[in-house]
Amino acid sequence: MKKGKISTAARREQAWGYLMIAPTIIGLIVLNVWPFIQTIYASFCKHLGFGHYKFVGLENYVSMFQDTDFWRATGNTLIFCVLTVPVGIFISLLVAILLNAKVKFKGGFRTIFFLPMVCAPAAVTMVWRWIFNSEYGILNQIFGSHIAWITDPKVALISCAIVAVWSSIGYDAVLLLSGLQNISKSYYEAASIDGASKITQFFKITLPMVSPTLFVTMIMRLMTSLKVYDLIYMMVEETNPALTSVQSLIYLFYRESFVAGSRGLGSAIAVWTVLIIGVATVFQFIGQKKWVNYEV
Amino acid sequence: MKNSKRISKIITYAALIIGSVIMIFPFVWMILTSSKTVAESMQIPPTIFPKHLLAENFTDALKSLPFVNMYANTILMILFRVIFAVLFSSMAGYAFAKLKFKGKNILFSIVLMQMMLPSQIFIIPQYQMVAKLGLANTVAALVFPGLVSAFGTFFLRQAYLAIPEEIGEAAYLDGCNQWQTFTKIMFPLTRSSVAALTVFTAVFAYSDLMWPLVVNSDLKMMTLSSGLATLRGQFSTNFPVLMAGSLLAMLPMVILYLFFQKQFIEGIAMTGSK
Amino acid sequence: MRKISRMTAVTLSLLLLLSLTGCKASDGKTHLTFQIWDVYQRPGMQAMCDAYTAQHPDVVIDVQATSWGEYWTKLEAAAESSTLPDIFWMHTNQLLYYADFGMLADVTHLYDDVSDDYYEEHFSEISRSNASGSDGKLYGVPKDKDNGHLVYNKEMFDAAGVGYPNDDWTWDDLVSASEKIYKTTGKYGFMAYNDDQLGYWPFVYQAGGYILNDDRTKAGYTQPASVKGIEFYVGMQDCDWCPTQTYFTETTPATAFFSQVGAMYMEGNWNLPQLMENYPEMRGKWDIAKLPKCPDPVSGDGRATMSNGLCYSTGAHGKQLEAALDVIKFFGTEEAQRIQGENGAAIPAYLGAEETWRNAFDAYDEKLDLDIIFEQFDYAVQAVYNSASPVWKSQVLDQLTKVYSGDQDLMTGLEHMQKIVDTETARKLAED
Repeated sequence: MKKGKISTAARREQAWGYLMIAPTIIGLIVLNVWPFIQTIYASFCKHLGFGHYKFVGLENYVSMFQDTDFWRATGNTLIFCVLTVPVGIFISLLVAILLNAKVKFKGGFRTIFFLPMVCAPAAVTMVWRWIFNSEYGILNQIFGSHIAWITDPKVALISCAIVAVWSSIGYDAVLLLSGLQNISKSYYEAASIDGASKITQFFKITLPMVSPTLFVTMIMRLMTSLKVYDLIYMMVEETNPALTSVQSLIYLFYRESFVAGSRGLGSAIAVWTVLIIGVATVFQFIGQKKWVNYEV
Repeated sequence: MKNSKRISKIITYAALIIGSVIMIFPFVWMILTSSKTVAESMQIPPTIFPKHLLAENFTDALKSLPFVNMYANTILMILFRVIFAVLFSSMAGYAFAKLKFKGKNILFSIVLMQMMLPSQIFIIPQYQMVAKLGLANTVAALVFPGLVSAFGTFFLRQAYLAIPEEIGEAAYLDGCNQWQTFTKIMFPLTRSSVAALTVFTAVFAYSDLMWPLVVNSDLKMMTLSSGLATLRGQFSTNFPVLMAGSLLAMLPMVILYLFFQKQFIEGIAMTGSK
Repeated sequence: MRKISRMTAVTLSLLLLLSLTGCKASDGKTHLTFQIWDVYQRPGMQAMCDAYTAQHPDVVIDVQATSWGEYWTKLEAAAESSTLPDIFWMHTNQLLYYADFGMLADVTHLYDDVSDDYYEEHFSEISRSNASGSDGKLYGVPKDKDNGHLVYNKEMFDAAGVGYPNDDWTWDDLVSASEKIYKTTGKYGFMAYNDDQLGYWPFVYQAGGYILNDDRTKAGYTQPASVKGIEFYVGMQDCDWCPTQTYFTETTPATAFFSQVGAMYMEGNWNLPQLMENYPEMRGKWDIAKLPKCPDPVSGDGRATMSNGLCYSTGAHGKQLEAALDVIKFFGTEEAQRIQGENGAAIPAYLGAEETWRNAFDAYDEKLDLDIIFEQFDYAVQAVYNSASPVWKSQVLDQLTKVYSGDQDLMTGLEHMQKIVDTETARKLAED
């Protein structure tokens, strides 16, 4: 009798589970998974035009792996990720903590940090291009340097990374701020009474409590940076001599699929990118067990 | 003790002010550029301040685009995308975090996988779906890709994971069923996460320009960002008018943010007393 | 509380329904959509449509301008789901892809009731070729034509004591004028920018070379005359008076010119109306001239400029094909082409209506030497493309960028370019 009751409850819980995830899962399968399956299929095909494909086996992958630009794009993407994710997350967390602190004009500061997210991309591009301009740019004027920030192949990727970090702060800080706000003040009050310093409080209370949100923000930022395209496209034009040193995988994918019409090869690049992101995500999930705290 | 408190306060304000200056820069640039002539906006070496204050660019922007329609479309698109994202993601996020069911990990990996996929591969297939449903050139088409949100699901799952098990168990003992536990007890506890997701979803929808341009052709069916993109000519762009238009387009977003800003603060008050 | 949320839900679903049904027209008229990618030409297109609907009150044409970047993604997605707009602009780079796949309606016999040789009588060979598929049939009605020319700063020429560019100018004059201007004023001379149509292409044809052979199956990058043209063009970058390509990445030649940093650059006529409007303080200080000729061409008379043109097309399987064909038929008449020109949208393709485009400059007291543009059509060369262009165009540009940056020498680069175009073209031909 008792055993039966438990299993009924468990069965009911299971039914609720399926019911509650159904809209999301069905939507994702139709809207996203199915197109991805089509992309995988297309990566083994030659695109004849207007969505008609001919199966060619591994041809696209063979030519992709033989292409030096492809390997450079893979390298660029990974370097870009390493340059942006840790710094971006660190700054965003710092900003979120500052915006959560007891300060005057908190609403005003928060709104200012929110503004870049809704600024026109054209304005953002114009400003950064002016900042980076080798002759008249503010950066070279401040440092008295003559660095070609956008056109020197050695520097251009770093410049792009700076813009990326800058534009990600708003998004990430909004998310992290919500994580910080979920922390009950009573913890800090108790810690203050115990005489714990601010730094101890940060490592003992703030970091563990915000870690679930920090984890999801990191995963998202990692994936976004491995899929970078728009930003590089805006900063670096096709005639820029630094193009091959900054071109990311999705930039290459876009040029192949939408400009050159080689959707088969483009799809192979997309599949490769997803593979890389998948591997990186798996490592993140294994690593989270060490630092993400779900027990409150 | 008091001294160190003052120092930390000074550092906090200094950091916030420096950060604000860096973040507000493009916005100031937009305002300055919107009063320049085209020649001034393109000039090298660049000028920072416009010679005259021109209101002309604003009237030009208002004349060349149907702003009323674009405001309406943008607000409707954001509204529906946010509703769908919050509703479905809350449900799924709760289920993934708190309920036990078979195949949970595999199903969750579908959510993760969506986040890995480059959005460019969806454009043509999703356009075909919209075209088949006969929805091209409607607000529904604008909402379409945002019917479900993988990121929202993951984000809210994390929020639910952070809620102690005991709270759910207590509700269960009080005689709540799963649905009641979710709507009455759990959902309100994720308030600030939901507010963050709302802002995130809204900003994402707002700045998406490729999809509205591909799926809707009629200028009256465009969102603000995509409508502004049509101001770019093939060979040249009138940047001052574009900036003036962008400033007008930013208004509803800033108002929305100020509104949710309040929600954020209330959110603290709620969870703070838990 | 409950009630409020239920009411909100009902209102929202009503709103969604409303927005779903909001735009379906039911006035019994034929509604056609007309898609273009350049917002600056919208008034001209609208005026043509107005002229048509004045004669056909039962037709409504909706002119939709989108941005160049998204236009092709949009059009391709629409073609795949058979929802092409009723009328749309076609570019030479894309026409073959669409036409050869049977996506465009054949308009070869559109004017048979007027004249069997309507196209030959009223449009140039280049215009017709721009609208032809690989099978030689016409898949669009020619819309406009253009060409590239020199733009120069009169004040800088005066300051340096150099005579303005004229019809007899050669490459040597271009170089010596540039040198002199740079020495006396410190300003850049001719700003040679890494581009094809407004870059090295005309110089190749001036030298007697070619980018693609006559049947467009093989490239001509390694031909001695082509090498001569490209060598001269790319070589200018090494002169003190020409900015480097790095410079151009940050500042376009037009920006530099109108900020009075350089004395000359190559421009397309389509930009002139905007340049006049946008730079009021520069009016009268600059003018246009023919491109200089090659002093010692390997063959030919040393003259060339590139000319391109768009056309109006409609989908082969459109639901309102008849109505759409009737509209584009009108677009190809003298009346419609004159309206286009008078609105300053572009130089009409229709022979004899070209000069209506002068209207675009009526508002300004300061005049440009527009005659040179019309005269240049006499020896203009069709902008280079074949069915594999979309594949090789950006790859070739990449190679040239590597030459400019010194990553490879010119001959290696040209051999790569030759190989890229030949292989991609052969591959494309083998498929068809």
